[in-house]
Amino acid sequence: MKNRFFLVIATVAAVALMTSCAKVPQEALDAASAALESAKTVQTDVYFPAEFAALNDSLNVMLQNIETQKSKSAKDFKVVKTNADAIAVKAAELAGNVEVKKAEVKAEAETMMAGAKTLLDEAKALILKAPKGKEGKAVVEEIKNELTVIETSLTDTQALFDGGTNYVQVVDKLKAATDGINGIIAELKEAMVKAGIKI
Amino acid sequence: MKRGSLVSLLIYLIVAAFIIFLTVMLFRALVPEPPQPEVERARAAIARARDHRSEVYSPKIYREAQNNYDSAMAAWRSENDRFILFRDYERVVTFAAIAQKRADEATRNTIIRSNNLKANLGSEINRMREEMQSFEKIFLSMPLPKDIKNKHSRGKLLLREAEIDLEKENYVNGNVKITEANEYISGAYVLARKTLEDYYKHYSDWQEWATSTINESRRTGSYVILVEKIPGLCHLYHGGKKKYTFEAEFGSNWLGDKKSRGDMATPEGKYVVTKKLSGGSTKYHKALMINYPNKIDIQEFNERIRNGQLPADASIGDMIEIHGDGGKGANWTQGCVALRNDDMDLLFKYASKGTPVTIIGSTLTLEEFFSSSQK
Repeated sequence: MKNRFFLVIATVAAVALMTSCAKVPQEALDAASAALESAKTVQTDVYFPAEFAALNDSLNVMLQNIETQKSKSAKDFKVVKTNADAIAVKAAELAGNVEVKKAEVKAEAETMMAGAKTLLDEAKALILKAPKGKEGKAVVEEIKNELTVIETSLTDTQALFDGGTNYVQVVDKLKAATDGINGIIAELKEAMVKAGIKI
Repeated sequence: MKRGSLVSLLIYLIVAAFIIFLTVMLFRALVPEPPQPEVERARAAIARARDHRSEVYSPKIYREAQNNYDSAMAAWRSENDRFILFRDYERVVTFAAIAQKRADEATRNTIIRSNNLKANLGSEINRMREEMQSFEKIFLSMPLPKDIKNKHSRGKLLLREAEIDLEKENYVNGNVKITEANEYISGAYVLARKTLEDYYKHYSDWQEWATSTINESRRTGSYVILVEKIPGLCHLYHGGKKKYTFEAEFGSNWLGDKKSRGDMATPEGKYVVTKKLSGGSTKYHKALMINYPNKIDIQEFNERIRNGQLPADASIGDMIEIHGDGGKGANWTQGCVALRNDDMDLLFKYASKGTPVTIIGSTLTLEEFFSSSQK
């Protein structure tokens, strides 16, 4: 009788220790992974690289936490569930912000593109008034040539813009083109001032 | 219940609690410790490497770190699927240690590589700027083929893009751009220099013509005219000494000898003034007609027709003059030499029918020309 009692006690204790009933919050985990995946699809990694990396890191920490809990005899996935939910929410929020950011950069690119085209026209108009002083025509020819190259680059950039893949890259290209045209305009204006030509 | 039974129940319970306590202690002692610290160190190292942009600067080592971390996690999951007392996390720890090591290596490598790329980009940008300025100083006014000038302009734009990458710390992209810019800018420079070197193949002729013309002036004490196309100058010598130097403009395709009518090139060779034109006899302010084509020009023209360098119906051209209405700041004539009107007045005053006119590329050697252009 006594032996049977102790045996039951020991068995109950062992079973209780070996089979912890807490389960991995798989649904929350899947939701977090899916949210991160869809955030990547909308280029969160391009427009918010640091935030996206931090989120990925949080996912890694969470996965680690799951395994840590699974390694224990007494498991507790409450924190994991909270973290997974937070990651899913944050990923969705970031993905939403991407659209806003994308629209901002797109608008910036559009403005810059329009600005570059206006500057190009301004440069072309200045060329007509450019001085014919020493080496004037050669310089004007060189400038015309440079403008043609920049114009071609703007056409390529417009195609990149229309593709909509990466507006950040478009902005960088437009910056280079705009700097180039501004340089030409400054050069032309300086020459005109020196030659006493009214701008 | 009797007192004796209560005491014995209490003893049972105490013994049972003790057994449970012992079981728990034994169990906890037998369950292996999870490898969380090792895996966490690996993750943190990878995060550091990523923050330094190792994905970009040390992709291979970074990927290795990442793969080992994934293996550590997979091994951990696999061990956790086993019965708790039979788990062994040694492989997890090994993978995590390799991951951490590789991630640290990626970080170190990235710091070195990005610094090197930054330094290289900066120095290449400076070098390209100098080469670009040098091209513009030397070749800007030369009638080089359009593709050479296009190459240069394209390179200039890429150089600006590389500068933006440097500002934005995109050293890998920047180095790609500067390499491309180098291909265009250096390529244009090499082609332009080659064009000029080809032109300079006639230098010994130029030197001989110039020397003999000046010697003739010295010997006879007469006036001679020497025109240099590269610096764009027209000199008047008297008694072997330079008396005046005027700025001159030429045909728009002046780099090279005149080959046929309409090629917009200014001829090179030894000529003489055949006519002095002024008033209504010339459409320019004043003009000195020269005897182009001379015998050598005709000989060379016929040879070019014979060997197919010129079409059979090509004509040699004529009416080459030194005339006024210059000073436009461009090489605009159809092959004549144009001077400012007041300069033309002076030249017209001293020149007469028979005055030697020698037109050459330059009296300077190619090297002298390049070093004088750099100043």
